[in-house]
Amino acid sequence: MSMLALASLRHRRTAFTATFLSALLGAALIGAFATLAQTATGAGVSDADAETLTIMGIVVGGWGSLIVLFSVASTLGITVRQRAEEIGLLRVVGATPRQAGRLVLAEASVVTVVAAVLGAALAWPAGFALLALLRNGGMVGDDVAYGGGVAALGSAALLVVLTSLVAAAVTARRTTNGPATLAIADARAGGSGRMPWWRTAIGLVLVAYGLGMAVVTITVTADQDDPYAAMSTSGSSSILVGVGLAVLSPVLLRWLARLCAPAVGRAGVVGWLAAYNTSRRSQLLGNVLAPVIVLTSAAVGVLMLVGIDHRTIGAQATDEGDTINLLNNVVTGMIALFAAVMVVNAFAAVVAGRRQELRRLRLLGATTTQVERSVLAEAGIVAGIGVLLGLVASLATVVPFAVARDEGVVPDGQLWLPPLLVAATVALTLLAARSAVHRLGPLTGAAR
Amino acid sequence: MNSNATSAALEVRGLTMTYGAGAGAVRALTDVDLAFARGSFTAVMGPSGSGKSTFLNCVAGLDRPTSGRVLVDGRDVTDLGEDDRTRLRRERIGFVFQGFHLLPYLTAEQNVGLPLRLAGRRQDRARIRDLLARVGLGERARHLPGALSGGQQQRVAIARALVTEPAVVLADEPTGALDSTTAHDVLALVRDSVDTLGQTVVMVTHDPVAASYADTVVFLVDGRVAGRMDRPTADAVAGQLAHLDELVGAAS
Repeated sequence: MSMLALASLRHRRTAFTATFLSALLGAALIGAFATLAQTATGAGVSDADAETLTIMGIVVGGWGSLIVLFSVASTLGITVRQRAEEIGLLRVVGATPRQAGRLVLAEASVVTVVAAVLGAALAWPAGFALLALLRNGGMVGDDVAYGGGVAALGSAALLVVLTSLVAAAVTARRTTNGPATLAIADARAGGSGRMPWWRTAIGLVLVAYGLGMAVVTITVTADQDDPYAAMSTSGSSSILVGVGLAVLSPVLLRWLARLCAPAVGRAGVVGWLAAYNTSRRSQLLGNVLAPVIVLTSAAVGVLMLVGIDHRTIGAQATDEGDTINLLNNVVTGMIALFAAVMVVNAFAAVVAGRRQELRRLRLLGATTTQVERSVLAEAGIVAGIGVLLGLVASLATVVPFAVARDEGVVPDGQLWLPPLLVAATVALTLLAARSAVHRLGPLTGAAR
Repeated sequence: MNSNATSAALEVRGLTMTYGAGAGAVRALTDVDLAFARGSFTAVMGPSGSGKSTFLNCVAGLDRPTSGRVLVDGRDVTDLGEDDRTRLRRERIGFVFQGFHLLPYLTAEQNVGLPLRLAGRRQDRARIRDLLARVGLGERARHLPGALSGGQQQRVAIARALVTEPAVVLADEPTGALDSTTAHDVLALVRDSVDTLGQTVVMVTHDPVAASYADTVVFLVDGRVAGRMDRPTADAVAGQLAHLDELVGAAS
């Protein structure tokens, strides 16, 4: 099986590069925060410093992990699902479902183990830089020595590998359990957007939790003496709701794409094709929608939060406030960077798997421009829906925190920020789609 | 010669295709001359490697022949640029493939109308409905391909190939993925489009039964036309296929 797995990896480089990159970045991000937690256990670290470092490492790192693991799982999901036909072929020539499943797992482990080890290696200097940031901000004592080591880096790598394997196993089981047949219905490769119950449940719980924290902020923590109590309850709400909506993305995409289909369809055959592809194969494009939602909700939510904090108590700036905001910015920056890479990755993987289908369009007489524009129109629909949902999710942080700091439902400033972030996100999504199509090369050639 | 060019829906002259160069060069087609009259149904047969697929690709403008000419509706299309070839494919040629090649996210009706949309032409709903009814799928117009059987998908593909009223329909092993009963239905549909709509059809196949639905069978061997048979029967075609070597001997 391992020989077959390696051959298959070489064969579909683009799709696996996407998995590799997300696992690499994931291990680097989680590992960097894990080193803080390990540093806290070092000798000579005061109790207060140890508490700060542990909270930072576990809590902030935990948030990052949630996003990272979700991304790795979804990228891996795309690459496995797109191989339904090939797995059907393996089954026909005599592979049992178990063998086919093992092949998928073997590939996933090769890619993610290598990526996670490299990512953990990157996490070592990244963790060092994080600690330096905290020391300079005066958040921990200058005497705290960097203690990142094998325990932190190893567990980060292990976490990424294990999640990837679970994701691969779940997807593989769904793909390999069917009857052995070559005539896999095309529809299966795209998915209709129906999700297993547990995925719906996870999404709803996350959204409800985020909204709950928002309500707690307005009703309870807003009135407390500590000005940062409201921040601690509302700060992560936008990310929670954003990730929850991202988990539900296939269903949301199906509904919303159908809503905008009549309007987009008026934009000629290109928009018409795009509208149907997005709504009827929302399972596939949901993987692109998810990071767009998270990117928008995290960036808008946290940056607005920092802005409100700066306006309301920035005048009487405390060291504590400065470092908290610095940290907020660092974390948001990392999440945004990660989500941006995911958008590019997911598009590359999705488009690479559609080569045959896009060629089919060319055979039927679509010009290269028409094919390219229809993929771009899909990206436009996904980006539009993604930023819309992301903005809605960001309200879960922005509104309660603005209320808590007596700015009212609408914050007093920085209203230029959301449109700017939205424009950047849409531009990124369109560019990702464009480069993914260009990477396919010419779509002509001999018919089969 | 000129009168020939205007009467045939599709014509190739001296069609030659060589892949690669030097000692490793492979000649897929050698000096093939064929004319397909309007409203005719021709099966192109031959063993694997006889040049059937290369022939289809050259005619469809997917491959550029090494030498020779391709005429569609009397118009020389050999040297057209990529955009013009694309336009040619969607306006003058209909395709039916072995693997159906429907777009998985479009309904039967939408798949049939796709070539019209790509060409920026008006969606003639009545015509699309009519074609679907003609192939026996009037009731299934709103189904996605995933909800249709193989035979039904191929019938949608036939309706799609006919929708632009092309000069010629090219069918590449259209029944290769179907069982014999379903294959019979599909072939009867193709035959019907020739008889009642006057459609020109060129079908590549290696199934003698499929070939027996055609008016004429052309045998290709080693990239050359090795023989023809009018009003073929399955038995006669199978017999001829078993003795292709004699045809080659007679031709050379």
